Amino acid sequence: MSLSPVTIIWAGVFCLLGIGLYGLLAVRNLIKVIVALQILVKMAMLSLVAASYSVDKLALGQSLAVMVMVADTIVAVIGLALAVQVQQRLGTLDISELSRLRK
Amino acid sequence: MTIPPFIWCIVLLWGLTPAIYLLGRIGQQRDESPGSPIARWAALAAMLAAWIPLGMAITSFADGPARYTLGAMALEFDGLALLLSVLAMALGTLAVIYSIGYMAGSDDEEKFYAMLVAMIGAIVGLGCATDLFNMWVWFEAMAITSYLLVAFYHEQPGALEAGVKYLVQSAAGSMLILLGIALVLLQTGTLDLSEIHAAAVTSPALLSAGGLFLIGFGVKAALVPVHTWLPDAHSQAPTGVSALLSGVVIEAGLFALLRVITALANVTSDWGVLLMGFGALNMLIGNLMALRQTRIKRLLAFSSLVHIGYMLLGFGAAIYTGTLTGAQGAMFHVFNHGLMKSLAFMAAGCFLYVLHAAHSDHSALVADDLYGAAGRYPFAALAFSIALLSLGGLPPLAGFMSKWQIFVACFNSGNAWISGLAVFGALNSVLSLGYYAPLINRMYRKAPSAVIENGPESLPLSMLVPLGLMALAIVMIGVWPVLLDWLSMPSGLALMAALSG
Repeated sequence: MSLSPVTIIWAGVFCLLGIGLYGLLAVRNLIKVIVALQILVKMAMLSLVAASYSVDKLALGQSLAVMVMVADTIVAVIGLALAVQVQQRLGTLDISELSRLRK
Repeated sequence: MTIPPFIWCIVLLWGLTPAIYLLGRIGQQRDESPGSPIARWAALAAMLAAWIPLGMAITSFADGPARYTLGAMALEFDGLALLLSVLAMALGTLAVIYSIGYMAGSDDEEKFYAMLVAMIGAIVGLGCATDLFNMWVWFEAMAITSYLLVAFYHEQPGALEAGVKYLVQSAAGSMLILLGIALVLLQTGTLDLSEIHAAAVTSPALLSAGGLFLIGFGVKAALVPVHTWLPDAHSQAPTGVSALLSGVVIEAGLFALLRVITALANVTSDWGVLLMGFGALNMLIGNLMALRQTRIKRLLAFSSLVHIGYMLLGFGAAIYTGTLTGAQGAMFHVFNHGLMKSLAFMAAGCFLYVLHAAHSDHSALVADDLYGAAGRYPFAALAFSIALLSLGGLPPLAGFMSKWQIFVACFNSGNAWISGLAVFGALNSVLSLGYYAPLINRMYRKAPSAVIENGPESLPLSMLVPLGLMALAIVMIGVWPVLLDWLSMPSGLALMAALSG
């Protein structure tokens, strides 16, 4: 069995999904959490483009991916802005510290 | 093609958002004091202006759902959209009026109102979306505006923690939704919800897509294993926003979930069972967690979990058995819960306002601060009591009527398991009085606490007017439940129509 490009792309999608979810669960640094979120975003964009390529609607997939870029940039900006605030107010970026400081 | 009025409602809300911000900014530079009076009145004017097209959309609703197509994008004002937009606009307007007094003089007031109005616009749009990806965009717009509102008090550690938690969970959830959308596109070749309904057959890819939607939208709708952001976010946000988050935003997530699940109805018949299972879990965990809380806003946030449980029970029974009564009852409960929970949050916000005025810091309101509140603030205490009793499901208040309708629908299904779940729900309703009743007892039967004694002489009128209106609505709906048939009937019918394709 030869690997078609689409199979490789889907394998990439699930690898990125695994890496992203692992990162969200394992990492304690807020910046790294946002990086893990960005890996999930790339997974989503890749899957949309791959799916639309398979059903022969590439233009649709690409326009969806552009839209996802716009939305996720805003989310990343807000996440980083929160990280800046956390660092300034609490002096740490560790998210387990964050829940401890609340009390 | 003429543009139907509901489009103007969204356009007005989104178009006026930058205007509110800019006007507020200009007004602020002129008088140098913190806060921005112009932004308040501009936000109120924007909300009232958006009622005009919404009113036109409601009156023309009887002629059939209005539809607007722009290129590949279609928006439709069907029954679900009707309920969600009326709820969002009603609570949004009241929250803006409430915030005029509550937020007066705080920093960044203009940003607060601009985000609030934009969030309401996004919710109205979310209700109208007929296309999976379009729905995701509205959903994301709603999420982004609510992140900013949750982390509004960004000098406080609590609000920052809530904002980070909410952003990370919600953003991860929406990426899972996108993966689900890609799987649906791969299998059916379309993103239109009714075309998906026609093209969907049982397949592993669509089953996993459904699972991804359940997790992704479930984060926003606070299904139990993924609810952990909710108590923090709802208790740390400014009160007007807490009222909207609990009353509308989680319901908007639920509606989005219902839309995709009904579109995937042909994939498996077990969606209803899943919803009912999550419903039972939500009721139990929500109640047990709420019983342990001493902070009022956190307690109310956990009580939202319980009420999402009742809605899931009604919707699950309706989807599983295909009966209208369950859907109609759950829709009725969505509206009632919006009213009750917003009233509870806003009334609790009155006491929080008193606490801040007495201590001038941002400490949380705990149950013991409520001692003897009825003596000094009889109106707010009465409104809070009405909201709590209605949430606990005591007749003749609105909360009783909608719970009753959901339980009746469950018993009518004739299925022993569903009837058992209804009994479980009723027992949970009794259990919930275990944390509502002591609050009322504290307000009416004890000597005033230090906070109440040091509080201001009276509360601002703009905070009391929404309380009065909502308390009146809860009593009226409780006595005449048919008053809301014009909302619950078409939305229930729309859900059933989407289910059968």
